[in-house]
Amino acid sequence: MEFLSTQLTGFLEALVYLASDPVTYAYISVSVFLGIVFGALPGLTATLAVTILTGFFSNKFPLEQSMIALIGAYVGAIYGGSYPAILLNIPGTAASAATAMDGHPLAKSGRGGEALGLTTTASFIGTLIGTVFLLAFVGLLLLVSKNIASPEKAMLALFGVLLSGTLMSPDLPLKGWISGLIGLAMAMVGMDPILSEDRYTFDWSYLLSGFQVVPVLMGAFAIPQILDGMRSNLSKQKPLPVGRIIPRMGALFSRMGLIARSGVIGTGVGALPGVGEDVAGWVSYGVGKSISKDGDQFGKGSLNGLVCAEAANNAAIGGALIPLLVLGIPGSPPAAALLGALKVNNVIPGPTIDPSFVLHVVAILVLASFTMVLMGLFTARIFILVLQIPQTVFLPIVLILTTIGSFSVGGGINDLYLMLGVGLVVTVMNTMQYPVAPLVIGVILGGLFDETFRRSLFLADGDLSVFVSRPGAAILLTLNVLLILSQTPLTSFIRQKIRLT
Amino acid sequence: MQITGLKKVLGAALFGVSVAGASISGVAFAQDYPFRDITTVVVWGAGGGTDSINRMIMSEMETHLPVSINVINKTGGVAGSNGMVYAMNQPDDGYTLVGLSESNVTAAVQGGWDKKFEFWHPFIVGGSPDLISVPANSPYNTLEELVDAANKEPGSIPAAASGSGSIHHLNLLAIEKGADATFKFVPYKGSAPGQEAAIAGEVQLVVTSLAEQAPLLQGGLLKPLAMLTPDDVVFDGKTIPSAFGIYEGLDAYLPLKQAIGFAVHASASDDVKAAITTAFEKAMASTVVSEWATANFYDIGGQSGDEASALFSNLESTFAWTLNDLGVAKVDPASLNIEKP
Repeated sequence: MEFLSTQLTGFLEALVYLASDPVTYAYISVSVFLGIVFGALPGLTATLAVTILTGFFSNKFPLEQSMIALIGAYVGAIYGGSYPAILLNIPGTAASAATAMDGHPLAKSGRGGEALGLTTTASFIGTLIGTVFLLAFVGLLLLVSKNIASPEKAMLALFGVLLSGTLMSPDLPLKGWISGLIGLAMAMVGMDPILSEDRYTFDWSYLLSGFQVVPVLMGAFAIPQILDGMRSNLSKQKPLPVGRIIPRMGALFSRMGLIARSGVIGTGVGALPGVGEDVAGWVSYGVGKSISKDGDQFGKGSLNGLVCAEAANNAAIGGALIPLLVLGIPGSPPAAALLGALKVNNVIPGPTIDPSFVLHVVAILVLASFTMVLMGLFTARIFILVLQIPQTVFLPIVLILTTIGSFSVGGGINDLYLMLGVGLVVTVMNTMQYPVAPLVIGVILGGLFDETFRRSLFLADGDLSVFVSRPGAAILLTLNVLLILSQTPLTSFIRQKIRLT
Repeated sequence: MQITGLKKVLGAALFGVSVAGASISGVAFAQDYPFRDITTVVVWGAGGGTDSINRMIMSEMETHLPVSINVINKTGGVAGSNGMVYAMNQPDDGYTLVGLSESNVTAAVQGGWDKKFEFWHPFIVGGSPDLISVPANSPYNTLEELVDAANKEPGSIPAAASGSGSIHHLNLLAIEKGADATFKFVPYKGSAPGQEAAIAGEVQLVVTSLAEQAPLLQGGLLKPLAMLTPDDVVFDGKTIPSAFGIYEGLDAYLPLKQAIGFAVHASASDDVKAAITTAFEKAMASTVVSEWATANFYDIGGQSGDEASALFSNLESTFAWTLNDLGVAKVDPASLNIEKP
């Protein structure tokens, strides 16, 4: 209890500190606005918003201001995706795919404003639920994580890549794993962390420091989106008309239980390494559909279905930040971009992270969610206008921002070639329906896995049993094995047998 | 093409103006340094020790100069070689300084560039002293106990220090030689992960600087055993003894201390060096610097010119030959004319 109260007072201090600085308001309103715009424009994702700002802010601004901008954009973009989902039936980001299921039918029957208003408040409360969990759990987990040594970290990193590969894949988990393996392979390039030997550098000094995270992120998330966007013609549609947006309190209060449940589900899914807001939305929607009384109405324009998806995808933000801050393992693709920003600023997440930094992040999340709800309720019409901007206008702007972002990290012109190279590879992968998130998670966690796995063996004099003899590592190893086994033909065979009998 | 043409015209015009200006001011021309803003290229990342020290000292030096100093970061390469090569390629007119640390002396033997450190004319702001610490719950309470345990089973006690050839690794090697003990060196990417590993109990001792360990010592997560510098240090009301008083032979190998600061091209003119030295000495004398150093557990350096060059060349030879002995040097230090320590 005492721990919680110190966390709470620390958080309040951080909040007051931020709220008393006028610069905060400038940053938070611009970044949340930008985030919503990015989310609302089909083809631009939350990950892209955070990535571009990561590159743009790089280490040229104080860390605190960068964090305000990045988290503001993150919160805004996850919410912003609901606009085109509801009004155009095109999810602005993958996170709002489940939102379109009920949002668009509602808009078609003339209840677009009602849907937007409820979405806004559900997103707001969802974000706050995720934030509360972040505040409560990070401190506790940080205490536990002091005992996490190399073998556990290695198994966790592997779990992150595998889980991301399993859940982010549109069809076969195997494709996700392949994507993750490509990421892991990319992470092996550079000076090896244990023996300081060059690996796959071909005597080129640029490769000695390995592939930098920011250009890889830009290449993976921005370039394919831009190429794809330029090829398709999405914005010819007119958004459906919208009525009153401010939700009726009654409609909101009667759904508080639903929002709370969706928020908890969203936070939980977000906290899984490498699994993001889109999965959170779908899982919560699925749970809602199967246990709600009006479950059969889901998909036909149910306000409950809408709330399930939207509260969960925003709650996933707080969840995704938990493993990021505690272990340096991003809980979602946008969190991976945030990790890039932390690395650029020499902040090393983990047990020795500055506790006041965590409290600042929590305070920023709270400020961002308030900014989001105010903008959503009172300036929604601007965002609806944004939906009509043709892609041929905003995509070139995004390309320029991406290029500046990649270049500004400091690796020179080679970083731009890296960005383009990764972008082309990922474009091909997208066409073949290989998920890109596991690749990025692989690049980010690959270095951690490589280093901790080999250090475990080094410390144990090459004895593999170190992964079994430590209880933590053994549990994680079992999870990894189960995850792989669950996707093999053998298990589906067994499952069928059980079903038949 | 048009733009370059315009630039040429502008450049010629500016050149004409400056020549005219110089001929009017005559003798005063050479003393005019600095008449435009100075850029300091820090070769390590923003937020790190070298970066924060440079930002601190540069803003203090600005107050004693008629111009501003911009601090930028150019990271990457081998041992900061990207930033050093960048600064090297700028004119040696004193308008480009390079912010660096002792770790940069290995750039040549690691193949990052082909210059000895004497290419630079360094200024040392200071450094934080290294110490050897153990986890809070460690059975060892003194350096002797730790060394005795290591001697019972040589190479069995894992010791953390940041990467091969870092200042902390060299300090660990020095204590091994001076105290005649063998630990199992486990490299980490930087000091923070090494310290975390010690807290997690993955390694049984860690060598990093006092500045880096301070929050963990204050929080009771690490237990300090000995300073690797000649004097005892009083930290948080408790005395951390110097290892020099425990093992006689240590002074043959230690101290090897961090040297963080900046440098100008050694080929820069004497006037430029003199102007920077004056501003540097005034800045070092200020309370801002001393307060910063106390708050962050740094020792003030303040060396410049020959004294600083001698310190760096000692670091260079120690680092280079140690890396060579470890078999991780890409370039033979002898071929660079780096003397044996």
